[in-house]
Amino acid sequence: MPVDRARLHRALNPRTVVVVGDKGPTYNWLENQREYTGNLYSVQVDPNEIAEIEKRGFTNFLSMNDVPGDVDLVICAVPRQVAPRIVADAIARKAGGMVLFTAGFAETGEEFGAQLQERVVQLATADGMPIVGPNCMGIHNARLGVKFTDNQPVVPDGNVSYIAQSGTHGASLSGISPLHGIKVTRTVSIGNAVILNEADYLEYLRDDPDTQYIGMYLEGVKDGERFFRVLREVTKTKPVVIWKGGQNEAGARATRSHTASLATPQALWDGMMRQAGAIPVNTLDELLDVMSCLVHTPRHVGRRVALMAMTGGQSVAISDAFGRANLTVPPLSDRSYEQLGEFFNIIGGSYRNPFDMAGTIGFAGAEENFQRILDILAADDNLDAAVYEFSAGFFLRQWKADPDRLTRLLDSLESYRARTGQPLILVLHPAHIEAELVPIKAQLAARSFAVYPSFDRAAQALAKVTTYYETLRARGV
Amino acid sequence: MPDPIAAARAAGRTLLTEVESKDLLGAAGIAVTPARLARNGAEAARVAAEIGYPVVLKVISGDIAHKSDVGGVELNLANGAAVKAAYARIVASANQAAPTAKIDGVSVHPMAKPGTEVIIGLTTDPQFGPVMMFGLGGIMVEVLKDVAFRIVPLEPRDAAQIVREIRGFPVLEGVRGQPPSDIAALERMILQVSSFAEQHPEIAELDLNPVFAYASGALAVDARVVLAAPN
Repeated sequence: MPVDRARLHRALNPRTVVVVGDKGPTYNWLENQREYTGNLYSVQVDPNEIAEIEKRGFTNFLSMNDVPGDVDLVICAVPRQVAPRIVADAIARKAGGMVLFTAGFAETGEEFGAQLQERVVQLATADGMPIVGPNCMGIHNARLGVKFTDNQPVVPDGNVSYIAQSGTHGASLSGISPLHGIKVTRTVSIGNAVILNEADYLEYLRDDPDTQYIGMYLEGVKDGERFFRVLREVTKTKPVVIWKGGQNEAGARATRSHTASLATPQALWDGMMRQAGAIPVNTLDELLDVMSCLVHTPRHVGRRVALMAMTGGQSVAISDAFGRANLTVPPLSDRSYEQLGEFFNIIGGSYRNPFDMAGTIGFAGAEENFQRILDILAADDNLDAAVYEFSAGFFLRQWKADPDRLTRLLDSLESYRARTGQPLILVLHPAHIEAELVPIKAQLAARSFAVYPSFDRAAQALAKVTTYYETLRARGV
Repeated sequence: MPDPIAAARAAGRTLLTEVESKDLLGAAGIAVTPARLARNGAEAARVAAEIGYPVVLKVISGDIAHKSDVGGVELNLANGAAVKAAYARIVASANQAAPTAKIDGVSVHPMAKPGTEVIIGLTTDPQFGPVMMFGLGGIMVEVLKDVAFRIVPLEPRDAAQIVREIRGFPVLEGVRGQPPSDIAALERMILQVSSFAEQHPEIAELDLNPVFAYASGALAVDARVVLAAPN
């Protein structure tokens, strides 16, 4: 039976949430919803738990039948043998849908678990009620404040959604995103995905006006042929970054017990993702790196980058990194060289691209010289993108003495970005005083800059995003 | 031509013989060396004379999937006497290596001039359904697993990419004075196999191994089609 889209929409954007079977000592499922703006109720029959739940200020009922009004989302955290009964109760209440946090189903490899899962599937498919899971963390709606872990952000105007076949990875992606200035709309931890599968979620996100970018962690897909078709279509309008877990034999063994996923050769996944126009990545960091580049840079084509490093050693390292990523570091135009030659300090420095700039922008006349460099690059037709080594180690003392100086630097970078309409990404290496970087990173995130802790990560992220847009153009989109 | 798929189904087989496989593929416009069945040495020599020497003989048996493993392939046979002797050797060797296999005879093929060996394959993935594979022949695919995949159906862009994605692609561009292979012909053949697979969902596996890539054109010299188990 096809998914009831209206019901799924209610479940993912609930006005009323009912948590069934939450218990002490932490009452995570209820506590996670402290910032939720809708109606939250508890259903629990154990008198000891009820006392504590009520003491914490939550309204408890003995049965789902007693909950007032429409029930949009049921979060079910009961032991597995009770799960089918709660599914039946939710169906009787015509609930929008359910998050089945409960684990111990097909992923155990036991007969009992498989039978229970089958019972749940039968009930849900007969009724058409969408179920997220089982064996999952469920739904994070950043707009409404529904969370599956308390460190997930509440965001009024998100545009990025995550689908994760792992609660931990879903929690990490959504929890870390704000540090990169990535605004999350929703995160769904999909678990065994036996009723709603990957293609269902992807289709929902395709039509979700609050989702412009999609990140996925997958260990397998239930209906690969449909997933491929939907993915190929979605990537035409929304970039989809996919981290496929279980890439070797040991990894595949882990995915079987984690989410009961089938093994398909990684080379086939690689081919499928490329064919569908998705952006493949191999790690959590890489997913966030690519997402950051997607949300903070405009659609672009072209691989010619200007590399602005501070010192000689870094100008070599940055060129190696971008070359490894198949980006090119072209000579600048004759006119640019002429203009740079008028003021650039070439004693211990270079402006041939890559730049070795410390002698020119580190000391006297620093700000004026840097502005001149940016103006020259902005007018150079040989470039498609620029990278700036945001050298906190070099400048921290000056910025502390004169905080406006940092603001002025950020203003110039923003103005460069606006004038050129091209990607400008930043590299901020770990400094010897890590704490000093925290407020700087927050400012960069607030101004929507893609920032990377190494040249290599910056290069790989930019290259993957550039490839995505090149593919779009080749597909005639 | 009788329908080879129907014939195999009627006989309860899922493995098509090489003659059946090539008949099917040839009819779909895919460049294969023609193959004709011969049931004894004399018939093999007669067919060979019609095709033109030199020829190749390969054992035909619904029970034997890997012909060279049972001594079932003889190459570069130059005349009737050589063909008759090769026929006898193939039958004896296959009988010894696979005593329970029913041997229908041999297929007779013209000896193709050698080219750069590539593999074009189709398999059914449990998650993604029919998928195509491309790789260089021999050691590159067996040892280095240097293969690329795409999901059926492929578009021209996919065919262009699958060929260029393998690490051994420079071999096809021509190395050490070898002329470049006709990559466009390989792309065409890949797209032909993709649409063939789309028209025949009952096919579970297909191997063109090897395909000879030439400076102009490409030719599959061995073909193997396996049907899905009947429902």
